[in-house]
Amino acid sequence: MTTTQSHITARRPGPRSWGILIKSEAKTLARDYASLLLPLGLPLLVLLTSASMASSEAIGTDGFTAFEFYVLPIVLTMVFAYIGMLNMPTYLSYYRKSGILRRLGATPASPMMVLVSQIVVNALLSLIGIALALSVSFVFFDAVAPASALAVAGAILLVMVSMYGIGMIIASLAPTMNAAIALGIILFLGLGALGGMFGGRSILPEPLQEVSQYLPFGAASDLLAATWTGQPVEPTMIIPLVVAAGASVLISLAFFRWE
Amino acid sequence: MTKELAIETTNLRKSYKGRTVVDGISLDIERGATFGILGPNGAGKTTTVEMIGGLRKPDSGAVSVLGLHPIRDRSRLRQVLGIQLQSALLHDALTAKELVDLYRSFYPNPRSTKETLGLVHLNEQRNTKFQKLSGGQQQRLSVALALVGRPEIVILDEITTGLDPTARRRIWATLESLRDEGVTVLMVSHAMDEVERLCDRVALLKDGRVLAEDTPAGITQMAEATNLEEAFVSLTGTEIFEGEAA
Repeated sequence: MTTTQSHITARRPGPRSWGILIKSEAKTLARDYASLLLPLGLPLLVLLTSASMASSEAIGTDGFTAFEFYVLPIVLTMVFAYIGMLNMPTYLSYYRKSGILRRLGATPASPMMVLVSQIVVNALLSLIGIALALSVSFVFFDAVAPASALAVAGAILLVMVSMYGIGMIIASLAPTMNAAIALGIILFLGLGALGGMFGGRSILPEPLQEVSQYLPFGAASDLLAATWTGQPVEPTMIIPLVVAAGASVLISLAFFRWE
Repeated sequence: MTKELAIETTNLRKSYKGRTVVDGISLDIERGATFGILGPNGAGKTTTVEMIGGLRKPDSGAVSVLGLHPIRDRSRLRQVLGIQLQSALLHDALTAKELVDLYRSFYPNPRSTKETLGLVHLNEQRNTKFQKLSGGQQQRLSVALALVGRPEIVILDEITTGLDPTARRRIWATLESLRDEGVTVLMVSHAMDEVERLCDRVALLKDGRVLAEDTPAGITQMAEATNLEEAFVSLTGTEIFEGEAA
């Protein structure tokens, strides 16, 4: 037998190490222009192209227009959907495929630290995206302030969790990085199209309109619209998001692999 | 009186999808030794060192590393074991310095960033991103990251495959300085000259079994060969091809 070495004690990396890892993930993202700029730029593009048409049409008596009912909710949802469905799974599957997670697993750090750091960095990027979209909305398109900022914040949190959840489902099921990208694009464009990303759900055929409100993108923009404009929140706006988040936990636990 | 062992494996076995890769490997590796594992492709070298490092679970058999069980005592073992993996890439948009800073933050008493990069002669490339380093420089950085936590045992898998002669010699010098510090080194290699020069003992693997285990000179003598390379060829019945493991 080799002699047991009592001087060796387990020690998990501390807060300083977490900080350095989060900073490393942030630097990696900042040097990857596509993943940095697209989730900020695409929603802005949609905002700029549809806002001027929408902002004059008043709906209801509280001063809210089609801008707050349709454009802003779609744009905010896009930020989270892009980051959740495209950024996160691409990174995670690359880290897995290239052996980065395995390499970290050979140190006192756990690959779980990378997952958490990814979520933190992407949450920060989402906040920047939201801040950017809101600034443009208020400065250039005279957006009307939300009926309840707290309700909107709660809605944003739920949307973020569910979109990240869909990303974790992709990262868990896609065998390669290319598969993750393909699946992410299909889901982002598909759910986005059904959710009104390309010009309002009213242009969709009737059956698709019906389906779309039960899908995460449509439910997310409905929820953001309802909370922003002070309309009642329907269960159909919450349930698809909770289901996506819940399913992601189960699927990740069952299928996510570190290597 | 036998010397203290750093690593002990008893009858290790591992198969993947019905194919036996490691078929009863028992090794005793003394503390402070530089131990080489040689063998043709598919001999089970990498699987063996990965089981020692706790990266794979053996189907049967036992491993003890400094008295620790590699899987059960995983988090304790990680403090004192440095591993360089054959195929793992690193965060490729980070610079050499940023990577060392990251990895050293995982350990309680790490080497300084400067010392770590100096070990593998990469101080000049400290601000170069990993993806812009040459293959040899990436390999050296990967070795440096296995050493940053001042490990008592280092596992190195094919560290000089594909390196130019200068880069190989630099890594050899690094390994010799580790030996002087009393670090136990377990290395998988294809390069006979490297093993002959660095290793105190060598295990020659084929088809998941230990064919021979001795000093490099002892193995050469046993095969009635003039050098380790000839001994390898005659004992395993395999030719060595340059870069076959690349």
